[in-house]
Amino acid sequence: MNAAPPSAESAAPILHLRGVGRRFGGLRAVADVTLAVKPGERRAILGPNGAGKTTLFNVISGEFPPTEGTIELFGRDVTHQPARLRARSGLSRTFQTSRLLLGLSVEDNLYLAVLGARRGHLLPIRLPRLERQIRERARATAEAIGLADRLGILVRELSHGERRQLEVGMAQAASPKLMMLDEPAAGLSPGERNKLTEQLLGLDPNMTLILIEHDMDVALRVAQWVTMMHDGRIVVEGSPDMIRENQMVHDLYTGSRYKQ
Amino acid sequence: MSVARSATPPAAGLNGRGMRITRWVAIGALVLFLAGAPSIVDSFTLAQILTKALWLGIAAASLIFLSSYGGMISLGQTGIYAVAGFTMANLVNAAGGKHLGWDPVAATAAGIVVATVFGVLCGAIASRSYGIYFLMITLAISVIVFYFFAQVTTLSGYGGIRSVTSPGLIGNPILNPVPLYYVALVASVLIFLGIRYLARTPFGLALQGIRDDPARMQALGYNVPLHRALAFGVGAFVASIAGILSVWYTTQISPGGINVTQTINILIIAVVGGLYRLEGAWIGALVFSTIDNYSRVWMPNVGDWLGPDRFETIIGVIFLVIVLASPGGLVGIWESLWDRRKRRLAPISAPGIPAMEVVDDAVDHPAAV
Repeated sequence: MNAAPPSAESAAPILHLRGVGRRFGGLRAVADVTLAVKPGERRAILGPNGAGKTTLFNVISGEFPPTEGTIELFGRDVTHQPARLRARSGLSRTFQTSRLLLGLSVEDNLYLAVLGARRGHLLPIRLPRLERQIRERARATAEAIGLADRLGILVRELSHGERRQLEVGMAQAASPKLMMLDEPAAGLSPGERNKLTEQLLGLDPNMTLILIEHDMDVALRVAQWVTMMHDGRIVVEGSPDMIRENQMVHDLYTGSRYKQ
Repeated sequence: MSVARSATPPAAGLNGRGMRITRWVAIGALVLFLAGAPSIVDSFTLAQILTKALWLGIAAASLIFLSSYGGMISLGQTGIYAVAGFTMANLVNAAGGKHLGWDPVAATAAGIVVATVFGVLCGAIASRSYGIYFLMITLAISVIVFYFFAQVTTLSGYGGIRSVTSPGLIGNPILNPVPLYYVALVASVLIFLGIRYLARTPFGLALQGIRDDPARMQALGYNVPLHRALAFGVGAFVASIAGILSVWYTTQISPGGINVTQTINILIIAVVGGLYRLEGAWIGALVFSTIDNYSRVWMPNVGDWLGPDRFETIIGVIFLVIVLASPGGLVGIWESLWDRRKRRLAPISAPGIPAMEVVDDAVDHPAAV
């Protein structure tokens, strides 16, 4: 697998959904989603509130299984695989509202993010070599997300902006193959949004990125390809330029945003 | 400390150093007292207060380990230590039970292993439950163990197993309480340091992550139920040592000593000491065994509802006062006093402006910078 040339690798999608749907009782949160994401791609998923974006994320990451369709990840059918095994095979995600380990320090949060994708979760002793590797990676990630001076601080004491930075850091710490970000810019100030956008643009180009974002500026600057969802279905797909021009996108998006 | 107090700004470090020195002096005094206790206190106090506080403290430590690092409040610790105690008591020579005549050391090891395996199995059942449901399942473990031994008299004798043989090292704790005191002390120190070490290993850090957010840990790749079940096994291992020590301490074990009252006693000890700090286990146990022994002497009659022989009422009132005053128990009260002292000394480093607020401001409004 590793010996395969990048061109051959890029031909096969890293993530392939076929007819994926998810019901909650009578509610069809996601319906008939077919989606192929290539390695190294930057994909944004847009759509008004309640369009099914986060449900789709949860189905892909394995929080719960789909009620219809199949999911193929890194070339293997993972439709019924638990979330933790998908995480260990190289998928990472963030959550819409920060889900951090509030009682631990920034460094220990990143430590656990790095350890999660490796073996040795149950080790009851500290192996100096393993500790050093994990701590180095954790500190390097803190550097990359601009929290290098906050390593020893309990996450409970971080500001909202710092928590959002760490939320992304937790996903990138283990160098995943596929990273899924659920509204990373939620609640950030314009300055912080800019910083986050720079951070996302600076990610390893081999890493595949799927991004749910309400903020069009962030999404359209980062993404190469955009999938627009509405009522659980994919309604439009295209490049950022095509999406900017699309009248339906404007109706759906600005409509939902300015109606209230 | 008076030197530090009168110092000018650059001496901020001195305050910290002063407090560190105070701390190390306190720890040194504690170590000296514990090591020399047999020649400092009389043998009644040694056995009835200190040794009892040490083994009760280990039982409470197993509960506090689970609650502070794993977010699991377990009422199953009494049931687990009963399994260890009864297993050991049946294997050695004793009056009642199976009296199989094993070597006491081998029987002790067997008791610990059986109770730990039992703990992992219980943990596997309870590990998918959280909060009140976890509490109920673990309470059921203690209740089931109690009724099992109360009813299966071939294993528990009639009214308990008496004259349980201890290892030669312990001898007869009623004639000479010193060896058992030191064994209980060494066990307590090893458990305290062992848990503190475990907390910094991959296993311990992941357990604390699971305490804070199981769903996030799942998404990071951890097997949350397995991790919680094994942590419960670690708690069971610690509880089983308390069970063994309790049998050596009283030279007997009976269903009456492992009933729901004892389950609640262990919980009270943990809460009084401080559910979120390991050292609270032994502090709570010391308070408990002291009140248990001396309330008959100290306590005056208050009407006809509170008096020298109303131990449960007295400990109940103390429990309520501590829970209302500080959710962190006695250790929590101590820590908040310590923090206040620290804060009173801190502003000296930046006269007029508390240093911490400056930092907080910069963090809260990064956009404004």
